[in-house]
Amino acid sequence: MATLTPQEIMDRVRTQAERSGAAEAETYLEIVRSREVRVRQREVELIHQSAIQGLGLRVYRDHRMGFMYTTDLRAPVLDEIVNRTIALAGAATPRDENKLPDEIPPQTQELEIYDDAVAAMQPADQIALARAAEENAFARDKRIQTTQDARCGMRVSEVHFTNTFLGYQTYRTTACWLAVGAIATDGAKKREGSFSDQKRILLDLETSERLGRKAADRALAKLGAAPVPSSRAPVIFDSEAAGQFLNAIFGAFNGQNVLEQRSFLAGSLGKAVASPLLTISDEGLMRRGLGTRPFDGEGVQSRNTLVLDRGVLNAFLTTSVSGRRMGRGSTGNAIRSYDSLPAIGPTNFHVERGSTRLDKMISEVPKGLLVTGLAGAGVDVVSGEFSQQVEGRWIEGGKLAQPVEGITLGGRLSEMLLGIDAVGNDLEYRSNVTSPSLRFKELTIGGT
Amino acid sequence: MATDRPISRRLFLRGGALVSSAILAGIPRVPWLHGDASGDAEAALMGIGQELRDVLNEETVNRILVEALRRGGDFADLFAEQRFRTNIVLAEGRIESVTYGYPRGAGVRVSRRNQTGYAFSDEIVYNSLLDAARVASAVVENQSPVTPIDVTKRNLVAPFPLTLPAPLMDETRKFELLRRMDAAARAFDPRIVSVRLEYADEVRDVLIGTSDGGYLVDRQYLVGISCTPTAVSGGDRRSGLSTVGGRVDETYFTAVDPERAAREAARQAITLLGAGPAPAGPMPVIIGPGWGGVLVHESLGHASEGDRIRRGTSILAGQLGARVAAPSVRIVDDGRWPHGRGSYAMDDEGAPGQRTVLVENGVLASYLLDKQNAGLLGLRSTGNGRRESYRKWPIPRMTNTYIDRGGSDPLSLLTGIKKGFFAAQMGGGSVDSTSGNFNFAVREGYWIEDGRITKPVRSAVLIGNSLETLKRIEGIGNDLSVEHSRGTCGKDGQWVPVGVGQPTIRFSQITVGGTSI
Repeated sequence: MATLTPQEIMDRVRTQAERSGAAEAETYLEIVRSREVRVRQREVELIHQSAIQGLGLRVYRDHRMGFMYTTDLRAPVLDEIVNRTIALAGAATPRDENKLPDEIPPQTQELEIYDDAVAAMQPADQIALARAAEENAFARDKRIQTTQDARCGMRVSEVHFTNTFLGYQTYRTTACWLAVGAIATDGAKKREGSFSDQKRILLDLETSERLGRKAADRALAKLGAAPVPSSRAPVIFDSEAAGQFLNAIFGAFNGQNVLEQRSFLAGSLGKAVASPLLTISDEGLMRRGLGTRPFDGEGVQSRNTLVLDRGVLNAFLTTSVSGRRMGRGSTGNAIRSYDSLPAIGPTNFHVERGSTRLDKMISEVPKGLLVTGLAGAGVDVVSGEFSQQVEGRWIEGGKLAQPVEGITLGGRLSEMLLGIDAVGNDLEYRSNVTSPSLRFKELTIGGT
Repeated sequence: MATDRPISRRLFLRGGALVSSAILAGIPRVPWLHGDASGDAEAALMGIGQELRDVLNEETVNRILVEALRRGGDFADLFAEQRFRTNIVLAEGRIESVTYGYPRGAGVRVSRRNQTGYAFSDEIVYNSLLDAARVASAVVENQSPVTPIDVTKRNLVAPFPLTLPAPLMDETRKFELLRRMDAAARAFDPRIVSVRLEYADEVRDVLIGTSDGGYLVDRQYLVGISCTPTAVSGGDRRSGLSTVGGRVDETYFTAVDPERAAREAARQAITLLGAGPAPAGPMPVIIGPGWGGVLVHESLGHASEGDRIRRGTSILAGQLGARVAAPSVRIVDDGRWPHGRGSYAMDDEGAPGQRTVLVENGVLASYLLDKQNAGLLGLRSTGNGRRESYRKWPIPRMTNTYIDRGGSDPLSLLTGIKKGFFAAQMGGGSVDSTSGNFNFAVREGYWIEDGRITKPVRSAVLIGNSLETLKRIEGIGNDLSVEHSRGTCGKDGQWVPVGVGQPTIRFSQITVGGTSI
């Protein structure tokens, strides 16, 4: 590593693989530098500094795949890895569709996924930001006396890629994040509220003022929460909860799951599976997007895919092999690290902004629930069932009433998606999977 | 990782997948290179462990620790690790992928009171680790240097003997196991339309040097296979799950009958076809043995972990000696449970794995502690300082956590329940340890009507609160079982293998998240 450049290492490994009998070989090398600091009660509690370098090698030999990864980039180890990976491929079952992408991606437009200001962040800058965020949580209300901690992180990543057909490609990204977990107490009970933001560009990051305040408000809103009686009622997911929900149902749009009959949406392409108010996109080319990269984990150019068009299922997301098996191309959704095979994942996956304000959605509900957080894995994308622990606020006569916890929501995903009767205008990008607020016509609340 | 993970503060337990695909993607091993005899394989592995010890001998470790404490601090440690991982996926009747992984590296921690500095290198090279020591020491601001005690080799006592660790099995045996399980699941019923099998194993070498004079070396073996068949009938689609594995010998796979496990997963999927709605709301609940222990993991386990206790942000902070469960309840975290996924001779900061009674006669008797938090609380480590890998610092974690056996015949626990819920198989769960509100999913559940288990229902979550639910235990079976083939616990972005367990248990009331009210 000290003497060879990433490109030289990869070329050497790939050429050796091809010479040793691999018809096709792909190398993916990642170099990541990151640091997170954590502050609690105004004191630095953790400084964690990372320097990662790792290489993944995928080969196809007679349409059989082998894969191996390592963080040990010494020449004799790499030589050994090539031999072992090729031998390994002999154990796999061949598949006609097993083939590396061979379309040379065109030059991509400026994606703005790298920021020198993030790369230049020093521990002192991060400590200052985390301190300020925690301080703002304390300043919000006397009932915030402690925090879980405040965290500020930075990461600089380089991806280097080659395969038999595409030659050398590379890109770099940055990310920075700030998060606070505030604890509110009313003397008897404590409740935690957290708020976080993550961005590619330092100037885009939420201010520590807004972040500290939001975390405090989320904690304070939970004080005095209690269950409500079981009922069927309209339920609104705020943008935070709706984002969690979207993340949980992502697997239903995963082409590999569809091929294995493991999605309740299998066989529904071209059908109306959701309310006409609902449009979902995966935007691989979103400027400054947290999931944006010029090409995916197997060298396929990133693109924007309309997944759900006004309620009609338009596309499943795929890699090159799963795309080929579905008789379509790759959607550029091969997500990976050097230590994992390319697998289907979201780029910037989101529900398109609607037109309804959250307060208007609330005002139209005579009796119902505003959900501000989902907990646990309550979504089964195979059977399409939904059963989830939630917390939030009760709605009475179109107004927010008492805080609620210790209840469940139940329903079937197919009915839930069709029953969405309002989509909010409050879409924010604090994660790469995100949604505006959503209102469901009726769900089952399991309470007292 | 290059993946953009949202920052989550929740604590999770997963049982579905044996390994997180992003984190434990694959596990290579050396025997492939060195012939098939297990003796050779073991020798080859020892050879590589030896290389680790050559670079990080007592002398170099001492020098790195001196550098780590140059600016002061309470203690420092060096943690070096290398893993050999093998991962095989069999899906739709084909060996879809075979992966070997060989991650290795080392990190240095410097700790002063509640402050931690941690830096690591992917290269196990003396100079890189000196750099890591300097970076880690930056957390300590201008104290006077502290001299570490020279390290000397400490011996470990293995929690249980392993003569032929399963990860050293012949490669062909691993493929054969998967093929047999695939065939058994498919043959169970024509409505099984697809089967996914995932095999994962690893051999993990660890070397730890501590500023209190410890030099420890350990090797840990882990293996697991998960089987998830999908059944389709009409518009209905269900999946089942079973797992086999643990820190086991090769002979285990003869004893457990993997085909039976595969059929069991298929049976689950088929049983749930056409299942009706689950009830919603509070009612008497019976939870089946083994993996049902996900309840104690979420409800009490996480809340007893020392970091949140020390910060006062756990619902169990300051509760030692307080009643937290029904009087008949004993809860144990056992880092030496035979073959447990969470078992080890030493934790990831060199403390021996041990059996800790967390709750005795319903009263909270201990916390789960790592060195740093134990020190801050004026207590001793319970051997629960664990880390995901050399890239992370140790935090207090569970090992194998279970509710101990009671005296009741499991069937007798049904008596007198007019309308209730029976959770035969659980999924994963999570908890907010500040409020104590937790949830866990039911994979296979049934109505209880007039003291009898009747119709199966669709999946649903169960929810509760740490301080209330365990007090509602009103019957404990004599059928304790500790699950050691699944269970991966996530906390603070670090995933570690764990075991959970319990006998059949009856609760007077738990809230069920169904749709039938």
